[in-house]
Parts: sequence; C-alpha cells; structure tokens
Amino acid sequence: MTNHWNDYQNTDVFMVLGTNPAENHPISMRWIDKARETRGAKLIVVDPKFNRTAAKADLYVQIRPGTDIAFLGGLMNYAMTHGRYFHEYVAKYTNASYLIHPDFKFEDGLFSGAQVGEDGQVKYDTTTWQYQRDEEGNVRKDPTLTHPQCVFQLMKKHYARYTPEMVAETCGMSVEEFIEVAELFTSTGRPDKAGNIMYAMGITQSSHGSQNVRAVAMLQLLLGNIGIPGGGVNAHRGESNVQGSTDMAMLWNNLPGYLPMPSAAAHPTLEAYQATTPKSGYWSNRRKFMVSLLKAWWGENATAENDFAYDYLPKLDHRDHSHMSIFEAMGRGELKGLFAWGQNFAVGGPNVTRERSALANLDWLVVVDLFETETAAFWKGPGMNPEEIQTEVFLLPAAASYEKCGTVTNSGRWIQWRDKAVEPMGDAHDDLWIADRLYKKLRELYATEGGAFPDPILKLHWDYDDGDHPSAEKVAFEINGYTWDDRVGLTTFGNLQDDGSTACGCWIYSGYFDNFETPKCRSRVKDEPGTLGTHLGWAWAWPVNRRILYNRCSVDEHGQPWDPERPLFRWDGEKFIAQDVPDFVATNPPEVSAQNPFIMMQEGVGALWSPSGMKDGPIPEHYEPVESPVTNRLNKRQFNPVTIISGKGEFGQLTRAEDPNFPYICTTYRVTEHWQSGAMTRSLPWLGEMMPDMFVEISPSLAAKLGVQPGDRVEVTTVRGSLVAPAMVTPRMRPVRVHGREVEIVGMPWHWGFMGQFTGASANVLTPHVGDANTQIPEYKAFLCNVKKAGGSGPVRG
Amino acid sequence: MTYGMLIDLSKCMGCRGCQVACKQWNDLPGEETSLGTDFTNPQKRSAYTWTTIDFLTAEVNGRTVATFTKSGCMHCLEPACESVCIAGAIKRQENGAVTIDHDKCIGCRYCQLGCPFGVPKYEYDKPVPRMQKCTLCYDRISEGLEPACAATCPSGAILFGEREELLALAKQRIAEGNGRYVDHVYGEHEAGGTAVMYISSVPLDLTTLNTGVTTESVPGFTWKAMRQLPALVGGAAVLSLGLMAYSNRRARLEAEQKGGGEA
Ligand code: SF4
Ligand code: SF4
Repeated sequence: MTNHWNDYQNTDVFMVLGTNPAENHPISMRWIDKARETRGAKLIVVDPKFNRTAAKADLYVQIRPGTDIAFLGGLMNYAMTHGRYFHEYVAKYTNASYLIHPDFKFEDGLFSGAQVGEDGQVKYDTTTWQYQRDEEGNVRKDPTLTHPQCVFQLMKKHYARYTPEMVAETCGMSVEEFIEVAELFTSTGRPDKAGNIMYAMGITQSSHGSQNVRAVAMLQLLLGNIGIPGGGVNAHRGESNVQGSTDMAMLWNNLPGYLPMPSAAAHPTLEAYQATTPKSGYWSNRRKFMVSLLKAWWGENATAENDFAYDYLPKLDHRDHSHMSIFEAMGRGELKGLFAWGQNFAVGGPNVTRERSALANLDWLVVVDLFETETAAFWKGPGMNPEEIQTEVFLLPAAASYEKCGTVTNSGRWIQWRDKAVEPMGDAHDDLWIADRLYKKLRELYATEGGAFPDPILKLHWDYDDGDHPSAEKVAFEINGYTWDDRVGLTTFGNLQDDGSTACGCWIYSGYFDNFETPKCRSRVKDEPGTLGTHLGWAWAWPVNRRILYNRCSVDEHGQPWDPERPLFRWDGEKFIAQDVPDFVATNPPEVSAQNPFIMMQEGVGALWSPSGMKDGPIPEHYEPVESPVTNRLNKRQFNPVTIISGKGEFGQLTRAEDPNFPYICTTYRVTEHWQSGAMTRSLPWLGEMMPDMFVEISPSLAAKLGVQPGDRVEVTTVRGSLVAPAMVTPRMRPVRVHGREVEIVGMPWHWGFMGQFTGASANVLTPHVGDANTQIPEYKAFLCNVKKAGGSGPVRG
Repeated sequence: MTYGMLIDLSKCMGCRGCQVACKQWNDLPGEETSLGTDFTNPQKRSAYTWTTIDFLTAEVNGRTVATFTKSGCMHCLEPACESVCIAGAIKRQENGAVTIDHDKCIGCRYCQLGCPFGVPKYEYDKPVPRMQKCTLCYDRISEGLEPACAATCPSGAILFGEREELLALAKQRIAEGNGRYVDHVYGEHEAGGTAVMYISSVPLDLTTLNTGVTTESVPGFTWKAMRQLPALVGGAAVLSLGLMAYSNRRARLEAEQKGGGEA
C-alpha cells in the first residue's frame, strides 16, 4: 500500500472496495475505528455481499461482481463534472495537463492502435497513446487543463458515458445509492480532507484487474488523495508476508526489488538490458541495483570483465510463466517436476479439477508444508485413480512461523524481525534449512556429474553457514547490501554502485539490516501520542524507512501542508520539518521538488494516463467479466479484448454471456476463520469448530425460488464442474438489478478440500482458467453458474 | 473492588478472536459442530465453550443488518447461581468474578436453572460431571492481566476494568455519541446489575442479549422459582445430604482417574 495500517487513523472517508477488512484483516478495524472516533470518519463498503465489514459501515452499497471500472469511472465522471476534484493537485502533480497524440481515439470498445488477431484477440500498438513532444523532446502541456487533447479533457470525455444512470444499471445499484457514495467520497477532493481506498482480491482477481487498480489510483489522484496522511491506494495483502514475497520476486517476470526480468532474445547482454534503463526518474539508477544484485549472487565470480556474471542469470523465453500458464503447460506434459513450497494449488488454483489432473503428468512433485495438503495428496483426491498416477510425491515437513526466525513485511511495507519461539516438531525444518540443503546437494551433483551449464550453480556466492544451520541474519545482511571489499552494511540504496564494489540482494530493502547487532527491522520505538503515527522508530519500511509513498504531494508548491492539521512536512523557510522520510530532495527549496513529486515516475508526476505501462489501454474502460449474465452496454466489446482466452483444450471451458443454462453470477471469497486453501486452519479444532463446513450462500429470494430451506443441499454447476454443499440463506446475499433484469448472486468460500480434519468441496472446481490481461491473475470473483436443489440437507464432507 | 467488562457491540466485527482466545487460555477442546443457519458455532455454549459470538442477520426496512453479540457469563453483582448452589461451590469473588469451586461442585445443575442467562453448563460426557462457565479469567485478573478475550480483541470492543469506571465510560460514550448508541447500558440494572455490561448502536432486540431479563436482583426472585426445581432435576427424593455424599464420591473417583494417568 502507499500508506500503512496505523495511518488509517488519519482518514476522513474510507472506501472499502474489493476487500473485507473486518473479516480478512481484523486488526485494521482498530485504526478505522480510531479515525471514526477521533475524526468522525465515515466508512463506505462497496461489495457484492453484505459481509462483516458492511455490518460496520456507515454506508453499504451492493455492487455486481466484476463491474468496478464502471463504478470507479462513474466516480471520476462525477468528480470531474461536479468540480469535486482537487484542481491544484491535479494540475501540478499529475499528468492531467499533458497533451496526447492527436490520433488517439476510443471507438467501439477499442483504443487506437488495436491489432485484432484472427482469434479476435487484441494487441495494441501504443504509438497514439504517447505524449506530444516539442522539438527538444519536452512534453507539450496545457496547465489550464482545457486543451481537448490534454489528459484531463480526454478523461472527461471518456468517462462522460459513465453517468450515474449507466453506473447504476451496470453495477446493480440504485442511482441514489451511487450518488450517495459519490457525494461522500468525492467530499475528500479538497486540500483538508483525506480519502482512503482499500482494495484486495475483489479488485485484482479479474480479467481487467490491473485496470481496476489503475482506476482506483486515478480516482485518488483526481481527489488529491495520494501521498497524504490518511489517503492512499491501499492494497490489503492476503498473507502476512505476501508483500515480502513479492518484493523478493515471487512473480515470474521480476527480479528482487521489481527489477524487470531480462529476456533471452531482447537482452542477451548486460548492455542490452541496461539500454532499457529509464533515462529519468529514480529508475535511472537501475544499473546500480542490477549490478549489485549480480554481485550479491555470484560474488567474486561477478566481475566487470564477465558483465558481473549476467550470463548466469536465467532469462525469460517468449512464453508466459504465470500460474495458469504453468498448469496449462503441465497439462500438455511439458513439465517434469514441480516444487509446491507452501502452496496448495490443488485447492487454490482455478478450474482446480483440471489442475489436479495436470499434476498427474509430473514425474515428481515436492511439497513443503505443515500438513499433507490436497496438493501432496492430489493422487487420492476425488475422481483420481491412484493406480494410474506415476508421479512421485515427496512431502517435506516444514516449520511453522513460530518455529523459525526471519522477517515479515506487512501490507504497509514495514519489515519486522521475528525470533524463533519454539523448536519445530518432529522432522520439520525451516525453509532456509531446506533451501540450503537442497542447494548444497545440487552443487555437489553438478560438481561430480557436470551438466549442461554447471557454472551458475557452482559459482553462486553461498555463504550463510553458521554452525550446522544456515543463518537467517547472514541472508538478511546480503539482501540489505554491503560493500564488497570490507563488508560494511549499507544504510541506503543511495550508496549502491554499478562497478561491483557493492553487493545487494534487493535494493529497496537497503537499510533494514545494515548490521547484526541492532538492525532497524528489530527496532521497536513508538511515537508520542498526538503525532501522525508514522512511528519511524518502529521496524523499518521500504524504501528508506518511508511510511507514506509520494509524500511530497502532502504539501503545496511552497512546502506548506495542504491540511495544517496533518503536517507530514512543513517548509519553515529554510528546511522541512518532517514526520516522515521525504520522498523528494528535501534540501532543495520546495518550489524545486514540486516539479517532480512522483520521483519514481519518468515524468515525475502522477500518471492519470499511462502511455505504455498497460497492455490494455492508457485509461481503464469497463468490460464485462469473461463470463457475464449481460451484454456490455458501455461499448461493443463484451470483455477485455486483450485478455488471453486459450479457448481450446481442457482448460478452455467458458460460458458465453446471457447463457440461459448458467443464469447466476458466482463469486468466491474467504471467511475470518480459515486461511487461504485451509491447509493450516482446517487442521485446527478451534478454528474448524467455528467454520466446520463448506457452504453456498444464496439470497432468501433465490432460496424461495429453488424451494431450498437453510441447510438444504444445493448443487452448483458451471461449465467446468459442480459441487454439492448446504445452502446458507441469509439477507447477506441479495439479487442485483442489472439493465432492467434481476440477477441472483451465489457466493461461496474457497477454503475447503478433501484433506485435513475439516473437509468439504473446493469452490475452485467451478472457477474459470482465464485471467487479467496484464498479470494473468485468475478471474475468481465473477463467473456464471447454475444452482439446483440437490436433495437432503446438512454438510457434505470428504 | 468489582472488575468487569464493557462490551461495545458497535465495535465488534464478529472476528471471533475472543472465542478462540478463551479456549486457548482455558485449555478447552474444540467441539464437534456442523454448519448452522448462520455463522454462530458452536451453536450453543457448553462446558467446553464458555463464550460465543452469536450472529444475527436480518432484514430491517429493506436493509440488511448483521449483529455479533459476545455472549457468556455476566458476572452478576448478586449471582443467582451462587445463591441457589446448595454445595456452596459458587462464589462471587471480591474482584467481581463469579467462580465455581470444582472440589465442591456436585453437578446438580441448580445454578444452570437458576441463572437468568442459563450460563453454567454441565459436562455431559464426563463420568464425574461438573458445572463449567466463564471465570472472568479469575487466574489472569488475579495476576493483574486482562481476561484473554479482552486482551485479544483487535477492535477494542471488549474493555476490562473497574465496573464503576466502565459504567461511567459507557454513559460517556452514549452521551457523546451523537445518537450513535442506544441509550441503555445493558447490565447496569439487568439481573440486579452485572459486572459484564454492553452498549450497542443497534436496538438490543437485534442482538442476542436477553432483553426480557428482570432488572430485579435475581437471588430472592429465584428462590421462588427454585421451589419446583428438585422435580426438574431428578425427583423430590434427591436430598441435599445425598448430593453431598455424591460430591465426596466424585472427589474420590476423580483422584482415581488422575492416578490412572487420564486427563
Ligand atoms: S450470569 Fe449466571 S452464571 Fe454468570 S454470575 Fe450471573 S447467575 Fe451466575
Ligand atoms: S475479538 Fe472483539 S471484535 Fe472479535 S468477535 Fe470478539 S469482541 Fe468482536
């Protein structure tokens, strides 16, 4: 998130969109409540289901799953047409004034530059999305924001179609409800108010998930809510350390610290890779981060002469290697083996019956987990015939979080060290121990048996030994970075060099563990009450311990806080009085830093318009989910034209819009009592007793229509599969009115599986194998189903 | 000094951290349960489940309302359970906690019937059953700690402290809440006053609090009702003397069991 949990106390209006803090991030409610108590803050919840957060809201509005862009576009339209945006902020701190290529167009659901393939799939040439530039290469601007080709006017025109009536019809809310939200949330579009949008998988797990997030960010820029205390675009990360794992490059196309992964074809040499380094903005330093990373990994074997061992770095081929693509490749028999390290995709993966079958094509599967998960036991799952499955499964018992030490990075980017509390049980070991043994064995095999290319393994700089156990502290020190010659820890990435004199495993973490005795991630000093709660002495936040990103935006051109009550910074004529680490050069006069308040961005300003960052458009447009009960009324394209539809093969089953066989919208979610695939929680009696059984949530009206009493079993079917579970009938679920028609929503948690103490059907037997155009995250949140009475009542276990 | 808890239902979000914390601190086992009509589970409190969050989801004037009521022992100022306990096992401690002395409890269940909230529960599955209920974490508060549920609650919905101060705070919240709260401190007078009190932002009949409970002190009132009790619990022939004998036998049995290495 741009801000952090404690900062929620500074918010005036919260909008919860596609996340469920009371249920999935309960501790966040403490800060939300504090703001309500001390500032009279308001809480808006927009969700398909009346969840536990909705129960606490000042204003709850139901939304049809998958229509967030229609809603957010409507809010932007409302803000722009009613003058409820923060003009000075928009004009000075965003690219609203930038002029766009004269040939830019949006027609029939496609942006200009669309190249439509034979299968209807679209790829964009982004030429017409670019800025206009003068002869010197400077962007042409209109500070008055009135030029028809400036970003602001193009947005205004684009979103003019998103009228309250259109939003209401599309999203399944009333015009009055929409206007109530619009009035309340855009009340923060002024200097002295802070609006906070929180989101999670309800926004991202969509075929246009990245554009959903863009729309959130754009609305927040329009309202001047970025970089200020109490504002922000705040992703509620779904696991305690998922922020940390993303920072450390758990995504297939990243290196640590969000360095782009080089491509074998385009970047065969370090020089070719470095040629793609941005020329301006902070990313112009990327060279130093990359060379220091190579130095950390290959140590003395990484020298200027061998391009710092760049050849040893694995590179991308032309294919996508995200979750769904891996399983599709596995389905085709292209993978030999797989590590499932703390992942239980046999419950969590989309179209999971197919994914489970694909696992049977592996020669071997290693599962590292606390329990024998569904993934480890896929071969004995429903519909599997163990006799026919040749996959050799290794189950390595792992240590739980209290049985190992290391850091956890929370959603607010705070990195906190945790000590080990107890020894692991039985044969269980911590992940570091397992990784260390695995590496050493591989090294030994490469040394004795050779191989196609042993050097990247043999020459790794692997120096973590501490007695008979690898030291997590030594790993942390390497991630933090140090000077190569004398091994002095770095306090900031500002000290990184591109000549091999520094090593650093993740540049954005530079400073969190610069020494072994008192690393900052162990620090626990709180601020005095009465401050803004940045708590700079508590743990360490990346980057450089900054708590609020883009925080130059919290003050005006002259360095005065937009809201004097929330002075994150204040220029006193000579220097800045600061409560946070500046995201700007604070020694410059404020008029200078006002020129590039978004230092990470190439142009130095917030991107209302994205000229080349997105595959599916410079600004978001509403498309229906790939499976939708209605046709798209906002444009002529039914769903995101850039989304990859595999179409063929066993993963390709999809339902067309308005298919009468699948009349209901289906969505999936989590409940407080279980965690993710339930691998851990479904073996804990105290949690299991509270949420023992899988269920299907339907509205009282759908129950009446189906003749179903609470607890009666229902069968939910999609084109991909079906499941039977008891019905939970409460007014938490309600139908929505969409384009004049009432559509029921069927909801279910996805925590259950066939292993553990508490068993039940996995919701993902229903979900589609289709995902976002930019990230390929699966569309778990909106698809089509049918529901029938199944006969009998009560739980279905096993 | 009487300690107590103020439960601000407007803050409770139904996360059930308190329900788990209670089991964890008091070493209570998970029970066999199955899906109910809402999320409440275990659906009834028992000897092994002393506090639950009771979910209530309803439609009111076309809008959905959901409430989460933390339920359990109210720790009455004048506990009916104590007054009806013929074995003298239940005692209101000086600090306000109402506790059961398991060496004395004979498992007669008078307290369960006498309690206006039906709180004490019987260990049906034990060879030597006793009554069980929330102790206000007597062991913790005697050491200066908060009860486990209060310590866990992430939203600050459960406040532990001196009853008088909590009552004043409750009234202050209502007074300064700009109509946010219903003007009623549940437990100020209910059952003659209780150490556990509630305030709420929704009408109390939308919670699972017993709004029908008397505001009279219950013990005197209870004795009238308790005359019929022997018939209820096993016939008029059950004499208190017999029960005492049973109690001694129970102690012996228990000692034997312990010797046998069972829990
Ligand atoms: S609520 Fe019931 S068990 Fe608790 S003190 Fe009062 S009478 Fe006794
Ligand atoms: S821990 Fe607090 S917020 Fe959670 S259910 Fe219990 S009382 Fe409610």
